[in-house]
Amino acid sequence: MISTAKSRSLVRAAIVGSYVLLAEWARGPLVQQPGLAPAALLLGGAALAAVAVGWRAEQLGLGASRFGLRVLGGLALGAVLLVPAAARSGAAPILPAGLAFAAVAVSIGEEIAFRGVLYAALEQVGGAPLAILGSTLLWTLAHVLSHPPAFLGVVAAAGLLLALWRWACKDLVGPILGHVIADLAL
Amino acid sequence: MKRIALLAAAAIAYVLSAWMVAPGFYDGFGPPQPYNWTCPPPQAGANIKPSSGHLDIKVINGKSDVESAFTEDGQLVIGFLPGAFDVTGKTSVAVDITPLPTCPQPTGLRFVTNVYQIAATAPLILQSSMTMRYSNLEPQPDDVYRADDPDGPWTAIGHASSAPPFAIITSTTKLGYFAAGYKESHPASGAVVVGGGQVLPIIVAVLIVVVVLAGLPLAVLRRRRASGGAEDEEGG
Repeated sequence: MISTAKSRSLVRAAIVGSYVLLAEWARGPLVQQPGLAPAALLLGGAALAAVAVGWRAEQLGLGASRFGLRVLGGLALGAVLLVPAAARSGAAPILPAGLAFAAVAVSIGEEIAFRGVLYAALEQVGGAPLAILGSTLLWTLAHVLSHPPAFLGVVAAAGLLLALWRWACKDLVGPILGHVIADLAL
Repeated sequence: MKRIALLAAAAIAYVLSAWMVAPGFYDGFGPPQPYNWTCPPPQAGANIKPSSGHLDIKVINGKSDVESAFTEDGQLVIGFLPGAFDVTGKTSVAVDITPLPTCPQPTGLRFVTNVYQIAATAPLILQSSMTMRYSNLEPQPDDVYRADDPDGPWTAIGHASSAPPFAIITSTTKLGYFAAGYKESHPASGAVVVGGGQVLPIIVAVLIVVVVLAGLPLAVLRRRRASGGAEDEEGG
């Protein structure tokens, strides 16, 4: 009985992992097409968020309890993610306005998919260590096609930080807010 | 305590790894590779010098063939239609794209790309499409500028309304010197100014102040509630 439940969890985690990877990899080439970037990002964000269907908000770390602390945590995460760029001469990349809204959609979609659903699915299979390491690994793999190899280390480090927050605080509001702030300013 | 220590360690690991690369790792819409600068901005990190490009276009039936010339790093691509060059008396046309070793910044203009010289051994007679990539470390350019000499005068030659992210597309009927940029008198259009310039340290400072100022009362409140709960339990 336990083995059957475990197998189901494993299959579910595998399906979720494959789906989010495919959604991320499909978005990369579309975004590079002239005029398609905002639409591809919006659709990509929606496709990632759709994986949350059937999950309860609490399972994903989206409860409303201690909401003030969750928001503060998100601001703190945003500050940490921005510190290296801010410390370096004060200048930062500037996001074209047309992409800003789409960036928010992708940030939310990615957090729901990776630190929300994928984390929860992996946690059911192998507990917190598997959830933290597995979601970070897939998060890094998801960015292989869209980012130069030199950036993958920092992508992995950001994923690990957000996954550890999800584990330590049982919260997804903080990672969502921190990710949105970082994507808008980095 | 263990959780806080792990979070702190992860935050430090992130800051160290982020320090080793240029800032900016967008979610799939960043440039496919870092921009190679002639004169890198301070925040660029490790930099590779920009590449040049060379193309020999065959003359077939008295017309230059359809071809594209590009720099090896793909930062500039120019496409030539059949018969794009006046090939009178020629069997081939050589096209060279060379990044200028200096970075001219004409008065009133701010270039956000390297300056490239495009030269050919025959005069261009048909309009040719050109794509220039730019960095995510600089504002979005408003236009592509062309000059016969790097010292100017520089003329805006317009650009297509749609292009891939971090690229600008234009067309030209003359070769010469090219760069993408914007007029310094007004900020680059379509840019979210709040994310750039010197504002980022202020944003981080504000975030830290908000977290500390709002976090302290919340922490005190939680502690009072927790001790109140413990007293109730003791009393009950």
